[in-house]
Amino acid sequence: MEVLVQLEHVSKSYEEKVAVSDLSLSIEAGSMFGLLGPNGAGKTSTIRMMIGITMPDSGAVALFGKPYSNEALRRVGYLPEERGLYKRMKVIEQLVFLAELRGLGAVEATRRAKEWCERLQIADVLNKKTEELSKGMQQKIQFISTLLHDPELIIMDEPFSGLDPVNVMLLQDTLLELKRQGNAVLFSTHRMDQVEKLCDTICLIDKGHAVLSGGMREVKSRYERNRVIVQYEGGDGFLNHPAIAEYRSYAGHAEIRLKPHADAQDLLRTAAATSMITKFELAEPSLEEIFIETVGGRADA
Amino acid sequence: MPSRMTLRNTLLVAKREYLERVRSRIFRITTVLVPIAVGGIGFLLIGMGGQRLDQGVRQLAIVSNEPQLAADVQTVLQQIEYPPQSIEIFAPGTPADLSALNQAVEQHRIGGYLILTREPGQSRLEATWVSGSATDFVGQDEMKGAVRDALVREQLSSRGMTDSQIKTLLKSVKLDTMQVKNGQTVASNAGRSFAGAYVLILVLYGAVLIYGINIARSVVEEKTTRIFEVLLATASPDSLMVGKLLGVGAVGLTQMAIWTALGALYAGSSLAAAAKVHGLSSLGLTRPELIFFPVFFLLGFFFYSAMAAALGSAVSGEQDVQQFIFILVAPLAISVLLLPYVLGNPSSTASVVLSLIPPFTPIILYMRICSQVPPVWQVALGVALLAASVWGMIWLAARIYRIGVLMYGKRATLPEMLRWLRYS
Repeated sequence: MEVLVQLEHVSKSYEEKVAVSDLSLSIEAGSMFGLLGPNGAGKTSTIRMMIGITMPDSGAVALFGKPYSNEALRRVGYLPEERGLYKRMKVIEQLVFLAELRGLGAVEATRRAKEWCERLQIADVLNKKTEELSKGMQQKIQFISTLLHDPELIIMDEPFSGLDPVNVMLLQDTLLELKRQGNAVLFSTHRMDQVEKLCDTICLIDKGHAVLSGGMREVKSRYERNRVIVQYEGGDGFLNHPAIAEYRSYAGHAEIRLKPHADAQDLLRTAAATSMITKFELAEPSLEEIFIETVGGRADA
Repeated sequence: MPSRMTLRNTLLVAKREYLERVRSRIFRITTVLVPIAVGGIGFLLIGMGGQRLDQGVRQLAIVSNEPQLAADVQTVLQQIEYPPQSIEIFAPGTPADLSALNQAVEQHRIGGYLILTREPGQSRLEATWVSGSATDFVGQDEMKGAVRDALVREQLSSRGMTDSQIKTLLKSVKLDTMQVKNGQTVASNAGRSFAGAYVLILVLYGAVLIYGINIARSVVEEKTTRIFEVLLATASPDSLMVGKLLGVGAVGLTQMAIWTALGALYAGSSLAAAAKVHGLSSLGLTRPELIFFPVFFLLGFFFYSAMAAALGSAVSGEQDVQQFIFILVAPLAISVLLLPYVLGNPSSTASVVLSLIPPFTPIILYMRICSQVPPVWQVALGVALLAASVWGMIWLAARIYRIGVLMYGKRATLPEMLRWLRYS
């Protein structure tokens, strides 16, 4: 697969604060890359260095296999974390203007803007001024503006924040579709459930360091399948089973973490003997748990 | 090709800025209101000035212990350019007369009265002008002249000169003024010869106030809405800044064109004929003045607009713009304050140096061109320096604008600011 972005041992500091330290990562075409980390971990700083808004203090950034250049930016679609549009411009004019800046002709830009607005179900706002729209609508407009010039590399900083679930689904499906077409999508977030569903590759940053990175499957396989989710009717005596390290018990629902190398099948047999089991799931840890374990552990240390 | 891409982006930004402004309400309002305001003030000034000159002091009285002296002053006053309609004489005046006169002044029945007192046998004369206003300069001047004339007349007549001889002798001299322009002497009018400079000051001042601040605001808006992060991820800050200035400049020119057209329409109308205005010719502009007017207007406008953009890039919010207006117009105000000196000494070293300092160049160098055409090299150097500093100011504004991305929460260090330079 073609590598679109390559960061090698990149570091960046602002005054005394270290934003990014010795970070290396690469993003391939046709993949969805999740840049994760708690607030202030250095996600936005990393993104800004990829697209030349800031320069690294040390290390190298390559975009489409070459050092950063202004022309390369036309192949990138960037949605910053802080949203912004011209308030007094009409939606259609705004979209055409931003697409023209990225090299599209006016006619083609207009055609695509209309097409995209229909696809994201906001065709009725094309002739409205941006300031008349709700925040969610404006966010969809900006989402579209990021994609109009058909960029090979799509970078979105917290793309789903502030959207209702229906629209989150709509945008997620759009991004997945773009990925299938061979584009690379990078998005940063601290919503682990979204990353777990969408991303092929992740990089977890904490205090400017990459603490966990690699393919999603590979990362998760480093962790043992020691989570058990049980739904049952009847007594909960089986929760005293020796294989259990700790558990959270709700009404007819228990979430269990097993001791290392414990026998889950024995637990199932014991539980089935005392209660009626409607669900017994042996799962790998969720990304959220991995995140908390990795980041939280460090924060405590 | 980067240069073509930059040019394309610049023009796109210029087009956007232009359309957004031309369609705005403030554009329509200023386009209509400014000519009305200028016309209104003009009429008011013409009206007031005319009244003052025509009238002088209409009704006045003379109180004196010497009837002959009072009569002499009366004679002189009746011969000035705008003689009073009535001159009442109280000789000698009683305290009752004085209190009656005070009342008359207070009720505006007379403009004022003159008290002339001379002790018998002495030549020293005490003259007092009593009027309703402390700043009645026209009245003061007229009275001073009249009393002096009367005394001279008295002396001459006592030495045996006849009235007609005295009249010939004291006839006022009319001074014609000529000016050397382009090697020829032409009739000049001190007020008129600087009309071009005054119009430039007015127009430049107005344009900087309206559009300079407009630019600062639009830069601040792009920063507060954070749209500039999207723009900077696409276009170079230089093309964004130049595009902004060109777009706003084109708006200014559009407005000027509309005003000029309105002015031409007005000049051709009967209204103008009535007000004795005959188009541009009534300003008496010479050819260099006409040529350099647009040069200095445009360069000055772009210099101050770029400065406004730099200021807008440096501040964090809309409220801060207000405080920076002062910095923006201060060099213009200083130029205006320096004008009397430059007018008096258009070719002194200080005037030459001042006219070459870019912020002052538009007004001061143009004023020098209006009063006494300076050597070509000075004009060329002034224009070159100003053009270079327009470029420098745009460059600076673009840098500050770019660094502004990071000022959100994080402040950029000086070495970091210097590293930006590698990008341009």
